[in-house]
Amino acid sequence: MPVVVTKDFVPELVRTGGSTRVHKAVAPRFRVGDHVLVRNIHPEHHTRLPRYARGKRGIVEHDHGVFVFPDTSAHQQGEKPQHVYSVRFTARELWGPEASERDTLRLDLWDDYLDLVV
Amino acid sequence: MNGVHDLGGMHGFGPINPEANEPVFHHDWERRVFGVAIAGFGGGYYNTDQFRHAIERMGAVEYLSTSYYEHWLAMLETLLIERGAITKQELDARREQLGREAR
Repeated sequence: MPVVVTKDFVPELVRTGGSTRVHKAVAPRFRVGDHVLVRNIHPEHHTRLPRYARGKRGIVEHDHGVFVFPDTSAHQQGEKPQHVYSVRFTARELWGPEASERDTLRLDLWDDYLDLVV
Repeated sequence: MNGVHDLGGMHGFGPINPEANEPVFHHDWERRVFGVAIAGFGGGYYNTDQFRHAIERMGAVEYLSTSYYEHWLAMLETLLIERGAITKQELDARREQLGREAR
């Protein structure tokens, strides 16, 4: 398994922060402008879906492309490559009516964290 | 995993006060931990997600009372033992030796 770490490997890894982008054609489940509902899941395994966003509604603002799925990759269950989107939430959706009306927050979320609101 | 690492929206942790002119490393051991962690990546011992999850698997009290690079060190100890690069006995023996030398 181990390979030799060469000098040119290090600056690239530090520069990209170990990006998990995958150069594979995978069909996106959502398009920019789609209204989405974040799945209310509480897995015991690794996930990059913050608790405060679960069950909340947002709008897909940008498609970042295809990335490794952390929930499986963290457990040696494969890359399961899929699209990651920047999803915009209003502060009021996340934090309730006392939050500022003008504030919004963006989260980078994987396909498998989302469902379409129709 | 609903662990203490998922701090978003929690109260009571006080303000975030960024240091002016913060150095990349505050201590020499942090530089070393960073180097070993990069070597572990390159050696194929773990990927980014396994790295993150190893930190999430720290005990809650330990996680909240240790620094950023102490989290990286905990990750290295967990994953390098799990992958068989080192043994727990080797780690304990080395820690004991360093403790003796420091006295």
